[in-house]
Amino acid sequence: MDYHRFLRAQSIMISAGSVVFPFYLLFIRNVGESFSQFGWAYGLFTLMSACSFPFIGRMADAVGERNLLLLYTWGMALVMLLIPIAGGIWAIYAIQILMGFLGAVQKTAEKSALSRQAYEKRHTDIGKSIGHYHLWTSVWSAAAIIVTGYLIDFLTIGSIFYLASFMYAYAGITLAGRAKQLAD
Amino acid sequence: MIYGLFFILSVTIFQRQPIFAEDAGKLLPTAIKEIRPASTAVSLEKWVKSANEHHGKLSVAGMQHSQGGHTYYPGATMIDMKSYNRILDYKPDERLITVQSGVTWEQIQRKINPDGLALRVTQSQAIFTVGGSLSANIHGRDIRFGSIYNTVQSLRLLTPTGQIIVVSRTKNPEWLPNVIGGYSLYGIILDVTLKLTSDELYQIETKEMSAEKYPAYFAEQVLRDDAVRMHMARISVAPDTFFNEMYVINYRLAENQLLLDKHRELHHERIIALPKALLGFSRYSEKGKELFWQIQKDYMLNKGGDYITRNNVMRSESEFMEYEQAGRTEVLSELFIPVSKFTVFVRDLKAILRKEQFNLLNITIRYVEKDEQATLSYAKEDMFALVLLINQGTGQHEIMETREVVQKMIDAALVHGGSYYLPYYPYASKEQLRKAYPNIDEFFKQKQTIDPNEVFVNLFYKEYK
Ligand SMILES: Cc1cc2nc3c(=O)[nH]c(=O)nc-3n(C[C@H](O)[C@H](O)[C@H](O)COP(=O)(O)OP(=O)(O)OC[C@H]3O[C@@H](n4cnc5c(N)ncnc54)[C@H](O)[C@@H]3O)c2cc1C
Repeated sequence: MDYHRFLRAQSIMISAGSVVFPFYLLFIRNVGESFSQFGWAYGLFTLMSACSFPFIGRMADAVGERNLLLLYTWGMALVMLLIPIAGGIWAIYAIQILMGFLGAVQKTAEKSALSRQAYEKRHTDIGKSIGHYHLWTSVWSAAAIIVTGYLIDFLTIGSIFYLASFMYAYAGITLAGRAKQLAD
Repeated sequence: MIYGLFFILSVTIFQRQPIFAEDAGKLLPTAIKEIRPASTAVSLEKWVKSANEHHGKLSVAGMQHSQGGHTYYPGATMIDMKSYNRILDYKPDERLITVQSGVTWEQIQRKINPDGLALRVTQSQAIFTVGGSLSANIHGRDIRFGSIYNTVQSLRLLTPTGQIIVVSRTKNPEWLPNVIGGYSLYGIILDVTLKLTSDELYQIETKEMSAEKYPAYFAEQVLRDDAVRMHMARISVAPDTFFNEMYVINYRLAENQLLLDKHRELHHERIIALPKALLGFSRYSEKGKELFWQIQKDYMLNKGGDYITRNNVMRSESEFMEYEQAGRTEVLSELFIPVSKFTVFVRDLKAILRKEQFNLLNITIRYVEKDEQATLSYAKEDMFALVLLINQGTGQHEIMETREVVQKMIDAALVHGGSYYLPYYPYASKEQLRKAYPNIDEFFKQKQTIDPNEVFVNLFYKEYK
């Protein structure tokens, strides 16, 4: 996979995540009634990630990172559509489980893509390229957070999730390769 | 493609979702139809007429600091009066101001303070709307002007059938007792002309005493001394001094009013980390309660001798009390007890609360003069008002637990000829309501004649009618 496209897609995904994260927290807190429910919601997320890592790791070798990232972006785009209409703690638990799985997909794909890159190109400066990768993804996510600070005065919480959904979908399109033609 | 379909589906469901309304009590989230910001009397009139024609239900909201769903109703349209907030006319020479009912006390203060004028009767804070305050028939630290009822020169009312009428002691006077203290069940207060008074400079006077000494002290040193214009007190909820220790704060007319200019500037809300942290501790432990009481008391006693203007006494800080915690909330409950029965009542309360697991954080005491003008008047005699700040869970079980304790306390007040305040969570039983407010059935009955389609509703009405 072309490194620049990978970087761009990752930046969009991570920005989308940063845009919704604070609102997602608010949202769970409003639905949940106690700290134990809050604890369960997060526990389920992490537990689901833990359980899916071995399986996803094997999948990464079998189908490649690009397909994993496609699964992640489109999966998240759909989950973002579920959040605004989720009511009740059980819906939250279900969403957390889905996101736990998708989170594991993203983490695995990101890391294996980076290391494969390094491996294939026989990089001697692995640290440097990881630094470069994190620099750009973080810059984009910082920009997204700052812009959201302004947008929130104009958007309802519901539309923030829809916006994030679009961003994930766009990241998916970028990955699929069609975006390249569109951009050209 | 598939994504597009899902997107449209999600947005469609999202838009059909009910809107939830919630007030400061956080115990009664309710699905309502919509929220409509009020803009003009003409549009309000249209909404009310149309609700009458189409079986619509309306509720009215100010700042929503009431805690019993007084501002909303399941499936009803909530009219948000906060945007109906212009100052219409101000006559400093005649000491009158006419405002739209969504105006807050704070807004009025900013307007009149430069002219050396002040409000007559308000709560201890200035964060409330005029409409919400009249509808609850509020009281505060002032002890000289009687009830807020007396401060109203006239008002314009949008009746439940959609007529706009002027209401005063001479025009349509029969409406006034039901509108003031009527929690919007008799229509929307559009604008109000209020009587003002001079801003004055007070010197703070503080004193520590035991609860038994308080009624006599109040009668002799406070009420009889015309120079004391405003007053409040606190009684300890800390374990070691539980319901024994008290301190009082008097606002005494300063001898040198020329100093007023120096103190005139309106205070601003500061972020006060210390009281916030102390209140935080007191939520969780007996030790914390002890510490909070000691430090708050010393701090207050230390303020003796300080100068403060009337306007500033009426805008004390409230932000440090704000409380955000999932699954928990802080509610108020207020009991009125005839001045002469204070000592026995405090003894009863102490006995009740000693036995209960009840997270009581603060009790503030103020005075209300006898006033039975409002149909739902709580001051059948000269009363002390005890405001209790209660920390509790939002679950059904915890609501039941608090209900049990609050009902016992209300019973204790009723035995001694007291009553309780209506804008808070409806913990009282129907029977207790009828004892505390003997006119309540008449109030509901008349409501049905002036609002035959039951257009104006709220959870208070739903619970008790
Ligand atoms: C922290 C705190 C401190 C308080 N301190 C005091 C105190 O010191 N003394 C005291 O007496 N009370 C006190 N209260 C209670 C408070 O005064 C009442 O709840 C008051 O009604 C709040 O005003 P609001 O603008 O928030 O009104 P809301 O809560 O929005 O409305 C209260 C009632 O008024 C009706 N209403 C609002 N606007 C209109 C209108 N334009 N026309 C007709 N009806 C209308 C509503 O339908 C509702 O029934 C306190 C409450 C809190 C939360």
